[in-house]
Amino acid sequence: MNTKQQNDMEKVNLSTQIAVIGGGYAGLKAASRISANGYNVILAPQHNDTDNNLAVLGVSAAETDRIKALENDVANDQNVEILPLSTLLEASGMPGNFTLRFESAGAVLEKSAGAVVVATDTAVNPLHQIYGLTPATNVVSVSEFENLLASETTRKAIEDGKKTVAFLVGFAHEGSPLLMKRVLNCVSDIVGMDGCSAYVYVNNIKVADDGLERLYTRCRNSGAIYFKLQKAPTVIQENEKLTVSFYDPVIRNDIELNPDIIVCEEVLVADNVNLGLAEALHIDVGPMGFLQKENVHRLPVASNREGIFVVGSAREVQDLSTSWSDVDNMMLRVRALIGDGEKSVAAKAVVDREKCTICLTCYRCCPHGAISWDDKAVISSLACQGCGICASECPMDAIQLADFTDAEMTDRIKAAASESAANAPKIVAFCCQNSAYEAGLAAKAFGHQLPAGLQLIQVPCAGKIDIHYILNALVEGADGVLVLACHTGNCKSEFGNTYAKWRINDAYQKLEQVGIEKDRLEFKTLASNMASDFARIVIDMEKRIGQKKG
Amino acid sequence: MDSKNVMIIGGGIAGMTAARELAEAGLSVDLVEKSGFLGGHAIQYTCKATSECLQCGACSVEKMLKDVVGNDKITVHLSTEIETIENSNGYSIKIKKPAAFIDAKKCTNCGICYEKFKEDDLILQGYSKNNTPLYAVNREKIEENKIALKEVCPEGAISVSDTASFEDLTAAAVVVATGFTPFNPERKGTYGYNRFSNVISGLDLERIKRRNGFLARPSDGAAAQKIAFIQCVGSRDENLGNLWCSQICCPYALRTAESLKHKNPDLDVTIFYMDIQNTGKSFPAFYETCKDDIRFIRSIPVDIFPVENDNLNMRLFDETEGTPVMESFDLVVLSIGIMPNSENKPISELLGLALDQDGFFQNSDALNKTSTSNDGIFIAGTAQGPKNIAASMAHAGQAASGVLKYLGVTE
Repeated sequence: MNTKQQNDMEKVNLSTQIAVIGGGYAGLKAASRISANGYNVILAPQHNDTDNNLAVLGVSAAETDRIKALENDVANDQNVEILPLSTLLEASGMPGNFTLRFESAGAVLEKSAGAVVVATDTAVNPLHQIYGLTPATNVVSVSEFENLLASETTRKAIEDGKKTVAFLVGFAHEGSPLLMKRVLNCVSDIVGMDGCSAYVYVNNIKVADDGLERLYTRCRNSGAIYFKLQKAPTVIQENEKLTVSFYDPVIRNDIELNPDIIVCEEVLVADNVNLGLAEALHIDVGPMGFLQKENVHRLPVASNREGIFVVGSAREVQDLSTSWSDVDNMMLRVRALIGDGEKSVAAKAVVDREKCTICLTCYRCCPHGAISWDDKAVISSLACQGCGICASECPMDAIQLADFTDAEMTDRIKAAASESAANAPKIVAFCCQNSAYEAGLAAKAFGHQLPAGLQLIQVPCAGKIDIHYILNALVEGADGVLVLACHTGNCKSEFGNTYAKWRINDAYQKLEQVGIEKDRLEFKTLASNMASDFARIVIDMEKRIGQKKG
Repeated sequence: MDSKNVMIIGGGIAGMTAARELAEAGLSVDLVEKSGFLGGHAIQYTCKATSECLQCGACSVEKMLKDVVGNDKITVHLSTEIETIENSNGYSIKIKKPAAFIDAKKCTNCGICYEKFKEDDLILQGYSKNNTPLYAVNREKIEENKIALKEVCPEGAISVSDTASFEDLTAAAVVVATGFTPFNPERKGTYGYNRFSNVISGLDLERIKRRNGFLARPSDGAAAQKIAFIQCVGSRDENLGNLWCSQICCPYALRTAESLKHKNPDLDVTIFYMDIQNTGKSFPAFYETCKDDIRFIRSIPVDIFPVENDNLNMRLFDETEGTPVMESFDLVVLSIGIMPNSENKPISELLGLALDQDGFFQNSDALNKTSTSNDGIFIAGTAQGPKNIAASMAHAGQAASGVLKYLGVTE
């Protein structure tokens, strides 16, 4: 290992061209802002038109005008190159210098990009089949009903026909405030029409957004009837005749309605191009096909890879203003990363090229996609987050982490395990610096009772805790060893806590072989603000081990 | 880059996030916080993890606080208020500093002052170990205790003078991140908050958990075994004129219930609600888990009746019998809502900004909720309307982005 080399600053040139994938409202805004900041933009729309998506978002006429103006500006922007209807085939390289291969209009194009912004759209799926309904002129989805209301002739037909409209929402899918806003806007229109009436069969009314409770209440006060049910009502469609009924537990009777029109809920889902993009870009897929895991460290716009950002509905169903807020947050991150195209970075992890046998274990285990190879493994200083999972997993011990080299760790473990603690049991706690280490310091600061023989060893991530460290601590004199990681789903490096847990299980087997009791080693998860839990965990171990000492 | 300075009013999660973003972009920041501590309401929340993280965001606040305290481009002014603000070619601001404060440079966080004065509420303790200093003088209690205060600190870190002092600052832009005021549950008199000892608010629950490590009943300190959450206390209430959903209380109750049950699987939890709001992308799956663990009752109780052993009775509707029945709980948690900061009116007048019909700061552009009618002033966080921690942080990032654009640092 070479400490000097690790502390050297590396000068990196970064491409000032940024790729934006997705040409909807978020992609257009992203392209426009990035270009205004002096970067070139490659804009790769994934669908034919943005209009469809605007309807899904319930965007008003004035807002649509703003988006059209934006579309026009971007189309005429010299700094924006548009690759119409392109598919991303492959992305290689590292932050600052990605190479993207697109297929567009039958040709394969190769583009460089310092950073990639994924700004895909939302899609909409109808849900009538879950109610056993068949689409008909009087059985429509929310999107279709919005279109009926938007067109003057069909709107007039509804009004003149003094139609009774039943809305079914929240039974086939939990729904979202965005969908609820669109439904309530339709309800508001209907109750505003003389002689028309609106019945809303709804499970949970999703009002968790600005203005929705007011809209809901206003509709109710204007005559909309809401039936809040736990289960979907019974819906019968016989030719033209529609019947909606349910059992009311309070009046203990069936309530039946024959509406003229049923408006059936739909669900807003992730763009169908997301999975392909995730594969090409080597980024994680979160719940429901959105491109961000539910990990607070990623919020708002980060992916698991530095230099690849996810905005708007690419990461979760979002309305227009939130999408554009994402774009502003993305701009902060892109500027911080790319700057004016030149940067000095310190290597966090260094590969010993003599020892590396290019087995690619590191490439496979790096949660940040920071490792590539020439004839040896190469770690991108910009992409590396310094978690050290690779260093601990490398079978050749060919990777060393700055400030946490094996030699430094060995010294620290020796010092901690041999620290004199009179008669108290000696406990060495390996603590992830993102969670347990902070919790340990907080426990001290707030005066929680802690074992006299407790020593904390800070690690950048629980994934950096080698099995050797654990065994060494016991060999060097520790009576008990704790491995304290982040909660599942809260690891900044996604899998560091999982690796730690696997290694603990391996360590248990080794302990068993040499006849050391299993309960001298314990794995627990914590958060940075869990001072009292930290104290309880270490005190419990002290008690347990103290009993052994007798 | 010239030395442009930004004033941020409010040191909660939104103000801290805006401060960090601006500092990282190279600007100097004055972060003014009225209370003695950074972190606002968000830092008061405890981790909600079960065996896995439930994305409450409380740890993000801890991290942000640490980053802000450690950033030398951010000057933090604690226990400080804005006295005047004038806008001519930038903003001239007069801030009012307290008559008594603890000097962070001298304080060793030994806690002697706190031990001596915590009963009197004269010295307060921060929620985060990163609060610097960890203790603060309660401004409300200074007057009668000045001499005792001066003498308590062995390091001489407590500075006491006769009057408040003033300082003049300038700023090229201002971020309003004044946060919210929690609904005062005493206003719903029939719930008996502050009369029945085992009726507590969500924020009380957080304090109890933090202090004891478990949910202890205030009346006897025993671990609560059968608890109820009442949702929408102060929010979605037409009688109060509060026509908004606070957005955080359903996720709060669900996550808290799950995390309490993880530690104590025998805990019996009932949630009284109107409509359950989503918690995030994996909400449908999470909600199914909750339905297995928690009893959901769709009605908001009108009354809470105290009974023997400081237990609490509530009336609920038995759907199979079709009749109301009384049921007893040993602790009731009121999920109190987000109200506009009670000082929004004077602050808005000071800054010349408009409030919306609910009393939150009004954004001037519907598609940018950080915008105001004054180009150099931006709103961040719950000052604009209810938001969870993650949304407050994203909103504050957008405000910082707006500031950078306004100042010509970016386009």
